[in-house]
Amino acid sequence: MSWVTVIWSMCAAACLTLAFVHALVWAHDRAARASLLFAFVAVGAAGYAFCELWLLQARTPQEFAAAVRWAHVPLFVWLVSLAGFVCAYLRAGRAWLLWTLIGLRVVVLGLNFSTGQNLNFLEVTSIQQVPFLGEPVAMASGVANPAMLLGQFSALLLLILVVDAGITAWRRGDRRRALMVSGSVVALLAASTAEANLIVWAGLQLPFTISLFHLGMLAVMGFELSRDVLRASRLVRELQASEASLRESRQRMNLAADAADLGLWAWEPGADDVWATPRCCALLGLPQRSHFALADFTDRVRPDDRERITQPLRRALEEGQAYAVQYRVRLPSGAERWIEATGRVDEPEAGRARRLQGVCADITERRRAEKETARLRTELAHAGRVSMMGQLASALAHEINQPLGAILRNAEAAELFLQSDSPDLDEIRAIVADIRHDDQRAAAVIDRMRALLRRQALQTRPLAVGELFSDVRLLVRADAAARQTRLDLDELPADLPAVSGDRVHVQQVLINLIVNALDAVAGSAGSDRWVGVVARRRDTRFVEIAVSDSGAGIPAERLPQIFDPFFTTKAGGMGMGLTISRTLVEAHGGQLWADNRPGGGAVFTFSLPIATAVAAA
Amino acid sequence: MPIVHLVDDDPSFLTAVSRLLKASGYEVLPFTSASAFLQQHGTDTAGCVVADLQMPGLDGLGLQAALAATINPLPVLFLTGEGDITSTVRAMRSGAEDFLEKTAPKEALLDAVQRALARDARERGARCRHAALRARLEALTQREREVLGHVVQGRLNKQIAADLGIHERTVKLHRTAITTKLGVRSSAELARLVQQAGAAPQPEPTFP
Repeated sequence: MSWVTVIWSMCAAACLTLAFVHALVWAHDRAARASLLFAFVAVGAAGYAFCELWLLQARTPQEFAAAVRWAHVPLFVWLVSLAGFVCAYLRAGRAWLLWTLIGLRVVVLGLNFSTGQNLNFLEVTSIQQVPFLGEPVAMASGVANPAMLLGQFSALLLLILVVDAGITAWRRGDRRRALMVSGSVVALLAASTAEANLIVWAGLQLPFTISLFHLGMLAVMGFELSRDVLRASRLVRELQASEASLRESRQRMNLAADAADLGLWAWEPGADDVWATPRCCALLGLPQRSHFALADFTDRVRPDDRERITQPLRRALEEGQAYAVQYRVRLPSGAERWIEATGRVDEPEAGRARRLQGVCADITERRRAEKETARLRTELAHAGRVSMMGQLASALAHEINQPLGAILRNAEAAELFLQSDSPDLDEIRAIVADIRHDDQRAAAVIDRMRALLRRQALQTRPLAVGELFSDVRLLVRADAAARQTRLDLDELPADLPAVSGDRVHVQQVLINLIVNALDAVAGSAGSDRWVGVVARRRDTRFVEIAVSDSGAGIPAERLPQIFDPFFTTKAGGMGMGLTISRTLVEAHGGQLWADNRPGGGAVFTFSLPIATAVAAA
Repeated sequence: MPIVHLVDDDPSFLTAVSRLLKASGYEVLPFTSASAFLQQHGTDTAGCVVADLQMPGLDGLGLQAALAATINPLPVLFLTGEGDITSTVRAMRSGAEDFLEKTAPKEALLDAVQRALARDARERGARCRHAALRARLEALTQREREVLGHVVQGRLNKQIAADLGIHERTVKLHRTAITTKLGVRSSAELARLVQQAGAAPQPEPTFP
């Protein structure tokens, strides 16, 4: 076998191999159109190599002419797909140029088969054997076909297309690609055009060796494409590794979420797509899918709780606030479940939509426990009030008997007046007015007693401290008087703001502290017995109310214990009064503490939050 | 006319009770505190005190104690809003005329006031007679009082004359002067009179 046969065959084989490899790449990744086009380029080059081998070994002018004519078919494939490849690979190039080129090349192909013996020769007149690589190869001479100029022009168009696409890619930053692809095409075109011109027009004694340039160009492009394939496969490996670690961290997260009995969810408002873990679906009573619309979620929520969700959701999305809501869902079984959901909007990564993600948990048990605690606190507070009113009973009886006695005496006096012949009507009118006044007095005491004895849960609303003091004064002043103790419960700063509290419970705390103070001063000498209550604004958030007494104070070693349940120093005491008071104050968000006054005696202080304008509305 | 002194810190109750007592025909003077009453309390005003047991400052029992120390200890009648056993016992032991609840029936109140006034009248009469007797005894000379001391012990004139170292006829003259000054006729009468004057008139026992 001759060297020419070997080299050209190997050249064709190499081209076919490249074509096969890249066709395979395309087969696996249909998006890799550049690889498909490259495969066509390579197939064209391979076909051309065979045709070239044929013409090199032609024995007659007719055989040579036929070889050249048929060589234009793979050349067409090669040129058109090369133009397409450059455009696809560099993602550049002008479409009109591409289509003009393709059209021109079709015309050229037509001319190839319709004029002369082929595009290049109107007629091959003779062939001569020239030595090439140590053997004779065919070289033709004949009449050149003027249509060949059109072929040359199409080559120029290709050159322009490629250079233009290369410049565009270069400017975009893909410098290496632009250089490798455009450069190799330009070099090939320059070399092959020069050779063809030299052979045809200048009659240089050299056979056609364009296939070798093709192979060179294909090698450069193939190298460039393979680098892409290699890079892609490295990326795939990296992606697999990161996916593995992502999977692992997701598993860990799921493990943690399952252990904490939390459901995870994410909502993408743009696409109205809610993603949820199986646990989340189970918590909300949703079917086990991983994607829902938001409406699927809200449908599960009790209708009267839906308001609780919409507003915070809007705020979370628009203002970026943390989302934290509690609501009830209706389970398919008909039961209800309390759900707490928290979440936030994360700054979206580039190319991803904004989404709200978070967790939800079943808080039914917690809500039940909270409710039970509140109920027990209400019960205990009520028991404390009943016991406290029991202590005050004798003084309160006096407080009521006073107006009742006055009413009775007035009525009796009126009867006597009416028995006279000319009753003094003015006096009787005054008596009736007094009776009415005393009746209201007794009713006021009874009202306040009844309010205190009512069993009710904590209901906070704005409370004027002055009203609080006057209510309490009505209930304890008789007790203070019976114990011959001065009770100062009047002075209030004029600008004292209203506090946020439950009227009954705050009264209970204040009465409890005053009764304790009255007990504390019971042992001291008559003229010194004194209990004082003052209120002041502590800061922007709290008002402090302090109950001071002139008693012996609290021994330092007892201070830490006095709020403990069942701690008492009184013979008949249960030791629950201060415990209940502290619980009530803390339920209001305030504090209750005890101290000794520098001048002797104890002072109990409690703080209550100032009622804000929002709470008052 | 005896005056019922009303002391109560509750103006409304004070007005009501004074209306009733006035309508029942009593002279009434109301006071809103024990100290206000004591400040104007006269030495010879007849009547009684109706006081609230519980009052700020000086309370009912304090008022009673302060009143008992004066030369015009009017009987005290307590009113209270509550039936407190300890206070009741203390008040009665200190000689309270009566102890009534504020809502007690009118008849009970008026009876109690009537009783207190009657008692004041009795005690005031006794105090008056005693004072007159003491004034008559004051009129005797030193020697006549010495003789009187012996006479009421039942000694004879002769024994008295021997004890005092004077003549028996002088003793007779002194006895005549004594009976004349004191306006008594017999020795027995004289003895009873001296016995009465010897001790201050005691308050009548409260508990039957």
